[in-house]
Amino acid sequence: MDVNWAQVLVNSLVTGSLYLIASVGLTLTYGLSGFPNFAYAEYISLGGFVGYFVADELGAGLPAAFIVAFLVVGVVGFLCYRGIFQPMARRGATIIHLMVASIALGLILRHLIPVFGDFIPALGWSWAPSYFTITWVAFDFGPVRLTGLWLWTIFTAVALSVVLHFLLTRTRIGKAIRATSSNPDLALASGIDVEKVIWITWFLGAGLAAVAGIFRGAETQVWPMTGWEMILPVFAVVMLGGIGNFYGAIAAAFIIGLAENIGVVALTALGLSTSYRIGIAFLILIITLIVKPQGLAMFFRRS
Amino acid sequence: MDPSMYLLDLVVFIGIFGIMSLSLNLEFGFTGLANFGKVVFFLIGAYSYALLSQAGFPFYLCLIIGALIAAVFGFLISLPALRLRTDYLAIVILTSGEIIRLIVKTEDWIAGGDWGTSVAPAIALPGASAHAGILVNIGLVYVCLFICFTISRLLTNSPYGRVMRAIREDEVAAEALGKDRAKYKAQILMLGSAMAGLAGGLYVQYLHYVLPGMFLPIVTFTVWIMVLLGGPANCWGALLGAALVEVFDRGANLAKDLLTLPTDASNLQYILFGVLILLVLLYRPQGLLKESAVKTRATERVRSLGGAVRNKED
Amino acid sequence: MAETLLRVENVCKHFGGIYAVDGVNMNIREGGIWGLVGPNGSGKSTLFNTILGLQHPNSGGIYFKGQRTNNMAPHQIYDLGVVNGFQIPRLFPSLTVLDNMLVAARGQQGDGFFNSLFLREKWQKQEELLTDEALDILELIELRKHIFSTAGELSGGQRKLLEIARALMAHPTLLLLDEPAAGINPVLGKKVFQKLQDLSCSGMTFFIVEHRLEILFEFASWIYVMDKGKTVAEGNPEDIVKEAAFYQAYLGKE
Repeated sequence: MDVNWAQVLVNSLVTGSLYLIASVGLTLTYGLSGFPNFAYAEYISLGGFVGYFVADELGAGLPAAFIVAFLVVGVVGFLCYRGIFQPMARRGATIIHLMVASIALGLILRHLIPVFGDFIPALGWSWAPSYFTITWVAFDFGPVRLTGLWLWTIFTAVALSVVLHFLLTRTRIGKAIRATSSNPDLALASGIDVEKVIWITWFLGAGLAAVAGIFRGAETQVWPMTGWEMILPVFAVVMLGGIGNFYGAIAAAFIIGLAENIGVVALTALGLSTSYRIGIAFLILIITLIVKPQGLAMFFRRS
Repeated sequence: MDPSMYLLDLVVFIGIFGIMSLSLNLEFGFTGLANFGKVVFFLIGAYSYALLSQAGFPFYLCLIIGALIAAVFGFLISLPALRLRTDYLAIVILTSGEIIRLIVKTEDWIAGGDWGTSVAPAIALPGASAHAGILVNIGLVYVCLFICFTISRLLTNSPYGRVMRAIREDEVAAEALGKDRAKYKAQILMLGSAMAGLAGGLYVQYLHYVLPGMFLPIVTFTVWIMVLLGGPANCWGALLGAALVEVFDRGANLAKDLLTLPTDASNLQYILFGVLILLVLLYRPQGLLKESAVKTRATERVRSLGGAVRNKED
Repeated sequence: MAETLLRVENVCKHFGGIYAVDGVNMNIREGGIWGLVGPNGSGKSTLFNTILGLQHPNSGGIYFKGQRTNNMAPHQIYDLGVVNGFQIPRLFPSLTVLDNMLVAARGQQGDGFFNSLFLREKWQKQEELLTDEALDILELIELRKHIFSTAGELSGGQRKLLEIARALMAHPTLLLLDEPAAGINPVLGKKVFQKLQDLSCSGMTFFIVEHRLEILFEFASWIYVMDKGKTVAEGNPEDIVKEAAFYQAYLGKE
């Protein structure tokens, strides 16, 4: 079998970039609030839909789509926390109750999307998949083919990594996020407004999920299950990287990107269906949790 | 559909999901195990039933073997369950379910892949009316439900049930009091999975077909709603929850036909589901029926004496 | 001389370089009340945890009746007869007081899966006896009228008492208690110790951490003093108060 390994590597980079953008928000909010928010999947879908509306239905272009989706979904994420999870946590809800609530919230958001579409036809939202109409130029670099969208995905992931690195290490809010994540009581005692830190993180996290939703939507399609299709690989990145660990997530995203793309080659070589591609991330997720639940965090100090 | 058939169909569904709800109640309600992959064991029971019945086994063996295979998977899941944090366990079971669904979906040779396969009814009555067929199903499902309910009641109203609750409340303290939590968790996950597997077999023989699309994570979530709504750690609550959720589901379906809405009512139905569970979690986390105490002859005797006096004779 | 029950041999337990227990040796013989005192952070609770199997020592050996228990699970150590009462009570909050007692009872026939379903007559009979025993103990610690309250509804002092009572239900050979008299009124505290002494006459052995030295020294037959993870002194209560190390441990070096 003839494998274009250079292309496999590039594809891995693209997959990893998308997973990184999609998982940063989840890992930070999971680290801060201590429970996995399954409704995060719906932030991804919702981002795709808002982006689709702005870019395609309004024709305002992709940059506007990213900004609007980031803000709108960011606010949704904040409201979810402020309206549901925070009151529950204050009443002493267990982690099981918080997880069930997040699944319930995800169910609501997922089905609200087509309902909005029915009431406001201009949105163009429905259960049927929608497609971004933007066409992307393809470039050939020797044996490797890249599209404009892929370049943007990689660029965004790199930019996000750099910006977040500086945000987390150089700014007051970033330091507060890290301090709160590693020890909330200590952070509170040292005068950090823990509540505000959590709010800001939920806003940023949901906003980043929305950005990932647009990239995913532009690459494939936009429909209410977009987020669910991605959420378990995203969890795999979060767990492999270590919950709340941004640097771990960068490494994990690219490891899983590589594993998936090499896995596709391996599946083909073994004569198995490439439908199992997504199963590779599932396996990594399960093995990580069973063997080393702290993930790669040991290689990356949090603070 | 003939209204009486519609009602009888509802009764069958309540019975099947009552078994599911009872089994999650044993795991989560009594023992505190967050099984976010109930659907896995439902699926395993269903596919086992389908394949065994195609291989010519009689229906009762299909049901029993299906339940046993599901119990084996329950045992496998219990191995990491001892060490894993609640949220990790939830994600592991959820993901295992998706892997198994991915396999039956992709491998056409197992049971028709994505398109599924047809399943023979447990008790075929040639020439009988649809009513008779459904009544036979009600009989079969409710015999199974009765067995599961009785086991649940006996188990939870015994020293064993006390240990289940102790593990839920503080597993380290339970362990320090001599309770091997690994053993208890494994037994409960095996029993819960066997019950879910049984329900899966009943489900596909009633619907006459099996396909991967019947086993989406939403099934797990529906069962969670049943338990949380009815009242965790209460066997009657589990049945009440199953009945309410199924009735609600049918009610919404009927409303869909009767009302003309500007939107697809099935979306609204899911939204209402979500809102309902959020309201329960926010305002009545103990569910409709509160937890039932451990009832044994000894505790009931003390209770009947008002806790004040006791018979010194013994 | 009575037989050795618990032998602690050069046990160390460290957490990332910090030695909580640093080469402790002890020899606890059958019968009586054995005391363990020392300032906060001297490693008493960690030592208890290693004896109970809740934590495993990094080096050294723990032997109960000659059997090495270093790597046993807590439930196996319970089976040998070592039971404890936690310093901060770890009751089962939504279970009733009576159920909290019954869950701890040793040798129950109904706590196995099949027995609970099929040998109901047998365990029901046993449980009636256990219930009477539980009621007797609860009577003594003045919780008799609260048997159908949930443990979560009890006051702090009542929880503390229930924690001890629950451990007694397990018929321990050796009972480890971490500050049993803390948080309950002195009269009741003394009554509890009186009861423990009665039980020790019937063959039970107690190993007790207690900061209320006046009560402990009245009842204990032997005292170990720990400081910074080491045993710095031991002796009977009359002698130990004369030891310089005992004062140093509590008051710090001048």
